[in-house]
Parts: sequence; C-alpha cells; structure tokens
Amino acid sequence: MSTVDWKNYTPVLLPDIKDLHKIDVYTKNGGYKALKSVLTDKKKWEGPKAVVEEVKKANIRGRGGAGFNAGLKWSFMPPADGGPRYLACNGDESEPGTFKDRKIFEYNPHVFIEGALIAAYAMEITTIYVYIRGEYKTYIDMMEKAISDAYDKGYIGKNILGSKFSVDFYVHSGAGAYICGEETSMLESLEGKRGYPRVKPPFPAQKGLWGRPTTINNIETLSHVTGVINNGAEWFSSIGAPTHPGPVLYGISGHVNNPGVYELPSGVPVLDLIEVAGGMRNGKKLKAVIPGGSSTPVLRADQLDGITMDSDSLRTVGSMLGTAGMVVMDEDTDMVDVLWRIAHFYHHESCGQCTPCREGTGWLEKILLKIKNGDGEVRDLDLLLDLTTQMEGRTICALADAAAWPVRFTINRFRDEFEARCIKKAHAVA
Amino acid sequence: MPEIFIDGHRYEFEGEHKVLQFIQDLGKEVPFFCYHPSMTAPANCRQCMVKAGQYMKSRETGEYEVDENGDRVIRWFPKLQTSCNLMAADGMVILTQETDEQVKRAQKDNLELILINHPLDCPICDQAGECPLQIQTYKYGPEGSRFEVKKVHKPKRVQLGPRVVLDAERCINCTRCTRFTQEISKTHQLTITSRGDKNYPTTAPGREFDDPYSLNTVDICPVGALTSADFRFKARVWEMNQTPSIDITNGKGTNIDLWTRDNLILRVTPRFNSEVNDHWMPDAGREAYKIFNENRISRPQQKLDGEKVLSSWNNAIATLGEQIEDTDNAKIVVIASPHASVEENYALSKYTNLLRLNAPVFTSHIEEGTGDGFLLSDDVAPNTNGCRLLGFKELDKSAISKEIQKAELVIILNDNLVDRSVVSADQLKDKFVAVFATNNSETAEIADLVIPITTAAEHAASYVNVDGRIQRTYRAKETKYTNRRIDLEMSEGRLDRYGTNFDNWVTEDNKIDCMPMWEIVNNLADAAGLDINFKDGREIMDEIASSVSNFSGVSFAAMDEQAGIQLSIKKETSTSK
Repeated sequence: MSTVDWKNYTPVLLPDIKDLHKIDVYTKNGGYKALKSVLTDKKKWEGPKAVVEEVKKANIRGRGGAGFNAGLKWSFMPPADGGPRYLACNGDESEPGTFKDRKIFEYNPHVFIEGALIAAYAMEITTIYVYIRGEYKTYIDMMEKAISDAYDKGYIGKNILGSKFSVDFYVHSGAGAYICGEETSMLESLEGKRGYPRVKPPFPAQKGLWGRPTTINNIETLSHVTGVINNGAEWFSSIGAPTHPGPVLYGISGHVNNPGVYELPSGVPVLDLIEVAGGMRNGKKLKAVIPGGSSTPVLRADQLDGITMDSDSLRTVGSMLGTAGMVVMDEDTDMVDVLWRIAHFYHHESCGQCTPCREGTGWLEKILLKIKNGDGEVRDLDLLLDLTTQMEGRTICALADAAAWPVRFTINRFRDEFEARCIKKAHAVA
Repeated sequence: MPEIFIDGHRYEFEGEHKVLQFIQDLGKEVPFFCYHPSMTAPANCRQCMVKAGQYMKSRETGEYEVDENGDRVIRWFPKLQTSCNLMAADGMVILTQETDEQVKRAQKDNLELILINHPLDCPICDQAGECPLQIQTYKYGPEGSRFEVKKVHKPKRVQLGPRVVLDAERCINCTRCTRFTQEISKTHQLTITSRGDKNYPTTAPGREFDDPYSLNTVDICPVGALTSADFRFKARVWEMNQTPSIDITNGKGTNIDLWTRDNLILRVTPRFNSEVNDHWMPDAGREAYKIFNENRISRPQQKLDGEKVLSSWNNAIATLGEQIEDTDNAKIVVIASPHASVEENYALSKYTNLLRLNAPVFTSHIEEGTGDGFLLSDDVAPNTNGCRLLGFKELDKSAISKEIQKAELVIILNDNLVDRSVVSADQLKDKFVAVFATNNSETAEIADLVIPITTAAEHAASYVNVDGRIQRTYRAKETKYTNRRIDLEMSEGRLDRYGTNFDNWVTEDNKIDCMPMWEIVNNLADAAGLDINFKDGREIMDEIASSVSNFSGVSFAAMDEQAGIQLSIKKETSTSK
C-alpha cells in the first residue's frame, strides 16, 4: 500500500488564518470565489448538472459516517418541478468521540455556508436548513451570525450575486437527542415532531422534509464542496487514500497528550495519527483504539500495524472509518468500564420506536453493569453476544446496529478481560 | 396478472397490497402488534418479520431467469423485512415463520425483547384472554426468559381522561393509540413521552384525554396498557358472550358487539363494517349498555285511581283492547317511533290498519349539535328512515302535538315524547295514554297503561340508519320468556361451550319481564278477533319485503351476508351530517 504523504499537507478547511470566521477575512482569503464561479462563469459551469458531475467525480465520501459518494447522492434528487426542495445540513454530531463539525462552525463557518450554497445551486434547492445540536449553543450563535453576514453581503437570499438563483438559509437547533443525527429522524425534528427515524422507502430524495425532495449532507462533506469547486475534482481525489480521498477532520480524544481536531489527508496510519496528537499520555502503552466514533468496532493495539484511516484499510481488521472521531485508550483502561459506558449511552439515547433497540439497549446495559460490579457470570457474555444478533439489522434505523457492534466486538476482542471479571466472582464465592 | 409466492405457493394479485394484509386475507398468519388496517404502518414493533426476495426476470425476454440446475434465481433482500410496510410486487418471494427458521427465530427473539419489561401480570390484567401479546407469545414466543435483571418501572393506574386508564408498564409502544388520535379522531391528544425503554403514551401536561372517541384506543391497544375506566375489573373476557348488534343511540347505526354475562350487558365494542363505521365507534354509544340493564320496565303497569300498579299481561292486553273499542276511531292517535325497529313499527301498524284506526304518524328525533361529521349524526334515533320507508306520515313536533290534543286515546310506541318536550304532561292529562316502552321515563310515568317491550339487545330486528342502510340486531339477552340454552340464534360463549355447570350462573333478577312488540300485537289481535300471527323478526321482515316495495329484497339472511343492505332513500330526507 502506498503511503499517504500527510506530513506536507496544508489544511484547507481549518487553515491557520486569524479570524477566518469573519466574513471579510474569509472573502479576502478567496472566500465565495467558488460560489461566484458556479453562478456566473457560464463557460466553466453549464448549469447545475455540471456541478453535480464535478462533485460526483471528486468522490467526496460522506463524512457523517456512512461514507456514501456525495455527488451520487445529489444525483438522486428528482427533476425540479417548481415546488420547494430542501437541503438539510446535519450538524447534530452526537456520536461519542466526534467533535469535528464544531471546529468548522467555530473557525471556518463560511467554507461550509459556501459549500451548502453550491450544493443548493447544483440541486436547484430553495431552502437550506442547518441542524445543529442544542448543546452547541455558542456555535449556533456563531452560525447565526455568519449566515446573517452572508445575507448582508448578498451571498444568501434573492438573486444571489445577480443570478437567477435564490435560496434561504436557516439554523435549527436540536434539543439534545442523539437520534436526531439519524437523517430521517432529523427531518422529523425539523418538522417540529418527535425525533423518530422514518421507514425507508420512501427515501428523502423522493419524500423528505414536508414530503418534498430533500438531500441530507454532513457539515464536513458540504465544506469540502467549496474546495472541489475551487481546485477541481482531480485535486480532491488525488489527496489521501484513492478509494476514500480528500482531507479528513480527525477528532482525536482519549489518552493522548494533545487531543483535538486535526485536518489531514485520509489514509493516515492510525499509529502516526496518535503521534500527531502528541503521542500517548504519560508514556503509557497503547491498548485499544475506537477509530470513528463509539459505534465503530474497537481495535486492539496489536491489530493496528500498517492500518490506515480509510474505510478499506479499516475493513480488513473489522472496523470502519465512521466519523473519524478516534478514541485512544492506554494500558490502564478497563474495557468492561468502557463498554458499560458506551452501552449506557446507547440505552439513554435509544428513541424507543423499535422493539429490539428499545428493549435490547437497556438489557445490554443492565448485564454489563452486573459484570462491571463483579456479579457477572461467563454465560452472561454469551447472552450479550446473542442479544447483539437479536438487535442487529432488525430495526428501522441503524442505531440498533450502532449499539450492538461495540458490545459484540469489544467482548470478542477483549474476551479474556471480561471473563476474568466474571470468574473473579466465582472464586470469591468458592 | 402479477404473482407472488408465499411459503412456496403461488398467488395472483391486482392493485396495491401490503404483504402482511395479503397474507392475512389468505387466512394465514404473521404475528404483529403495531399494524392496523385502518391506520398507517409505522413498522415499529418489528414482529411481522418475513424473509423476502425477488425472482429475477430477464430484461430482454421478460421470463424468469434460471440457474444451471433450472431453478429460478432469487435475489433475497439483505435483511429480514417487516411485512406490514412491504408492498407486494410481481415475482416476489415471501417466506413466513411457517417455512423459514430464520424468520421463526427473529419473531421469537423479538417477543423475548418485548416481554422483558412487560409486567406479565396477566392474572390481574383486563386484556388477558383477548390479548394479542398473550396469544402470540403462546404461539411464537420463547419458552422462558433469560432476563434476570430489574424491569423498568413506569407510571401505573394513570387516569388519562374520564374514560381511559393507562398502565404504562404494560405498554409495548406500538403507537396505535397515538396514531388513532392523529389519523382517525384527529384530536392529537396522545403522544409518546420519554425515550427508549422509558417511553409511554400520555397527554400534554395538564390536558385530559377527553377525545369523544377515546375508548377506541382501548380496543386497539394490543396489551392491557389502556383500559376502560368503566369496564376494568368487571369481567374476564371468557366469561362473556359476544353478540353482534347495532348502536341504537344514534342514527348512524354503528355496528357493535354486546358483551353479556349473567344476562347483563357489560360493555359495548365496535364491530367492523367498512360501509358504516370501519373499526370505530363513539364513546357515547358505549355508555348505552346501561339502557339494556338499568331502569327497565318489567311487567305491565296500569294506573288505578291515579296510582301506578303492576298488572298482569292478560289484564294489560284486555285493557288496551277495550279502550280502543270504546273510543271513536277518529279520536285515537297511534304514534309510531324512530326509536323502535322496522318490525315493531310494522307490527303495530298492521294491527291498527286492520282495526281501521288512523294511520300511524311519527316525529323524528333530531338533536342539533350531536353530529360530528364522523360517526355521530344529529338524528339520535336509530330508525327514522325505517319509519319513512314504511310510509308513515312524518309530522314535526307542533303538528304531532296538535294531533295528540285532538285525540282521546293516545297509543305511543317507545318514544319518550314528554321527555323530549314534544307534548307536555298537562296536555296528556285528560286522555288515556297507552305506552309500549323499554325503559322508565317521564312519558311512561304519566301513562295510564305501560306495556314493557324488548330492547334491541333482546330481539332480533332491523333498523335503517341515516344513510338508508338497513342492519339488524341479534338476541344478546334473555327475557323471562326466552332461554339462551335452547335459542340457537343466541351466541355461545367460551363458558357455555367449555364450562362446567358451576361456571355459568344465572340470576333470575337480571331477566326482564317484557315481550317483543309483535308478540304483544299477536295477543292484542287475538283479543280483537283479528288474524295476526307473527312468529319472529325474521318472518316479519319477509312479510315486509313482500308487501312494502321500499324493502323488497331485504331479508335477515341477506343482511347477515352483506353486513346490511343499502336501501334507496330520498336525498332530502337523509339527515346524515
């Protein structure tokens, strides 16, 4: 595997420019050039379809976790019929270990706004919603400011930059539910309803917000669109891993010296990434890594040799890139505790719509609590594994899978540790 | 024609079908909880899992593709599918729990999960015996439970509204009740609160669940989470007899079931009729069970020297006969009733016609504001159109009051004219008033002669609703003169069939001393030397069908077969709203 040259990479989403969140600073540094080009340069862009094709060619794989080609997703939108069409930008990021979008809201909101506007133009969308989790109060305010600035400068609103293209842009704040990050659940929430995922089909492109065609994209995904339009699809797809190209915002947390968000090409070796984040805290040994948010299967340190942060490489060891929110754990970590905490999260956040997830997440947590407290038995581990198969693939949305995978893979990959906790109890009684 | 293959059998279909409904319509079964044929399918209970696939067809020839062994190529869906929201498609292959182990396992797994936080208090739960969860657990569920930790606790005995009580622990979050208030009654009063395994249905804070259709949520609740405040803890399902009937408290003619135990009607539930009320009924009609049990007139009553005394049947019949004979025919007014069945009205009119009395007249019973555009009409009498179709003269309130004031003898068939202020008690003072009635009322109170007749729960007779649909009742309750054990038309309950002699008890007090109108007419005719011999409602209806052209083609058998028959009524006479 060719190694990715990440050491000489210059960030595009989070460049080192002071006050980039201000619209004047952003435009001074080439901001809204892409939007202008798309709207006015008729020679380069023969209408919206050309933009969709360019983005499709760039192969921006959705940064929200599913990794689906964004341009391809855009092309699912039915032809415009004069009615309203929506773009819903998913900034609900609530997966534990994920905190990349907030950096965009904070440091470079206009790169996202510009990307969203280009997407709206490409899909002939009339209204854009950006759904931000309620806990991000500060960033919601910052986004409101950024959007109102863009309105003032004429980048949003009626006949943008003198073209025929008009669009409205609204911020919608969530109320603290993980499930509202699930795309159809987010649509329900936007409509003012209880955040229950919808049954698919129909897919949002056919029947989305208020029954109208809707596309849902992650904040980071849309932010990359600006770069693709400015520098071309080839530029984007030449960065990082060939099958999962482009810059990635890695959110690194856990037992590293400098946790934070790092913009690097995709396909950075996992172990290098830990070094980027300042290496292991207190010089401890690495024990495990959760590569892309708490629902992605955990990896043992001995599985990580030569593994890079892209979906293909991670698949070879049985994990996924997810949101690239990497959680690093050192040798002192109690995996039973970790798993219980993850299970607690999913139990708390299950929306309760489907039986397997509603009941299963609670059961998983209760058994894990029992094991954590030293009251577990080895047969409980098999019951846990059995329950994960009872939940997986049997629900409307993927949250049951997200809740089941960590349990299955953590137990499978650290079975000794779990058994030891159970057996200790057996000895104590004897 | 498109074809679908279910468990290896080929079926043809036309139009759009949900696979679950299609399988049910075939008489087969797939377990489910949240699906309801009259509401949207949220697919949230995840119980109706099937394995689904598609026979591949060649693009060029349109023929099914075959592999090297000559078998058709199936492309299976990657996951098991919920059949409630899966639309049947040409060449679709479905495997249910009957033929596929994976499906069987999935359904069993799901039931285990549903049951972990369910209190399993069937012995004290009203739903036991008619509980989809109980039934399906026996059929498809696991043998035991592996759940050894604490169950979730939620609010119990919550009075959601005046008529509905919630036990949130029993709730399996199928959302049938919330969808009912959103899609059917449209009051939007119920919603799910909290998340995950803590969620349950409730109203907005400080609001009552006083939806006029609230009790339908009790019917569709697949567990005992929602129970009727009135009916809860009154009877076990298997102790009761279920008898089809018609709601007689409103002109809409909602199809209902009467639930009887020990000769008392204990509850009323709606019965499906796609032409009238679908699966639903208004709460108002459910209260009606009381009129069959309480405040009934038992034995004839006569006024002697201003005092009401009980009378014998012979005496009562003779008294009325003498009164009619002694009064000038022109001074006798016969008032038919939209509250009585077609057969009762016909029997009375046949008798008065043979005596050459004035033809019966009637007045409709409209209460403005009762109608809601759904299952209630302003016409609160069950048979106004029946009277019209029998050719009775319809008079408004003042006209009928004038008629009465001209008369000396007033014969009233089950219509509480005094109670509804058509005439006043004063206006009837100097006249002889004979009343055929089911329940005590002011009208019966001032009457000189009261002859008790059977209610819709005690006779099989027909009623024509506001839209002109004729539908009939069945005998649900015994009178002093009928016997459930030898009456083949009365329903047989589980206790009747399987119980010992000690399981079923009968309190004679609950039997009313009353007779069907037509039997009374037989006796009256006998006394007057007329030839009238009505046997029962079925024969009377046959007679009506052959003598009154409006009713041609109507018979009990035809009504049973078609769930009622649509008669042609004049549009302007319809009071449907």
